[in-house]
Amino acid sequence: MSEISEKVLALTVQVLGPASRRFLERQTRFHLDGLEFDDLEKEHIPELSKWVGISARLIVDDKQAAMLAEMIKKV
Amino acid sequence: MVPWYHSIITKLTVAFIILILVIAGLSVFYTFGATKTALKETTRDELVALASVVATQIDGDILASLQPGDEETPGFIKIRDQLYAMQSSNSEILYLYTMRQTSEGFVFVVDGEYGIINDAAGIGELYETPTDEMETGLTVSVAEKEYMTDQWGTVISGYAPVKNAAGVVTGIVGVDMSAERVIERQDFIGSIIYLIMLIGIGITAVIIGIISKTMIRDIRALNDSAEKISTGDTNVLVTVVRNDEIGELAGSFSRMVSSLKIMMMDEEP
Repeated sequence: MSEISEKVLALTVQVLGPASRRFLERQTRFHLDGLEFDDLEKEHIPELSKWVGISARLIVDDKQAAMLAEMIKKV
Repeated sequence: MVPWYHSIITKLTVAFIILILVIAGLSVFYTFGATKTALKETTRDELVALASVVATQIDGDILASLQPGDEETPGFIKIRDQLYAMQSSNSEILYLYTMRQTSEGFVFVVDGEYGIINDAAGIGELYETPTDEMETGLTVSVAEKEYMTDQWGTVISGYAPVKNAAGVVTGIVGVDMSAERVIERQDFIGSIIYLIMLIGIGITAVIIGIISKTMIRDIRALNDSAEKISTGDTNVLVTVVRNDEIGELAGSFSRMVSSLKIMMMDEEP
């Protein structure tokens, strides 16, 4: 797992809990051209942040989703 | 829904009310007791001061010369008028009089209200219930430790020695203050203490009510979310935000719900 992947996972767990990895794998696979989450790099962050902000709204409230997206953006 | 008697809000409120009542009760008990003692001491000090001041105004030589039947003499009238004037000028004083010690005991010499009220004592009238403080009053200014009840009512008294030109003690001055006045003062202070305590209890109850209400509101919100999830409804958002243990619980609960949703999404066809 790349260093970036670890950082993003650690941040996401704080908001979405233990199933965060599944959530992030789905985001990278569907929205970052089939990328494996473990191969995440710095250049993928803006796009991932955008899709996390959108998808997380289905799970947590808008405020938390926006906060998580912002946290990922800063990685 | 939890019955009201098992509710946390009921338990918290009852516990706080008991706590407040115990603390307030002990505080009132102690404060009122201490105030009562302090007030009595203040009254005794006042009586001693008053008796001392009055004693310096009385001519000890004239006092020593007065014998039964001298009630119309200029000497008697002078001292009586002095006593009456001082008594009238101070609303705290109930009676003002002079006495001297004889072989029979303490007898009145000049009563400040002689000729003004009917039951005032004449020269030589025996005082039937002398106290140790009267004896002490022949040497130093002193006040009774407790209230005394005699034919003139319930009073607390102070005494001071009256001396003649040669410095010889020829009698004592007695100052009586009505027990009612002292008790009135105690009751007033007691009422103020009770009022302050009641206001304190009221304010505390309101604060406890507000804190309990917000706590219980958030616990109920978490409970409602858990209820929904337990019946298969995962369309739940945990919106409780607090900085305390309930906030931590809400955070953990929110992460648990989020993960549950993610896993259920994965299972969707």
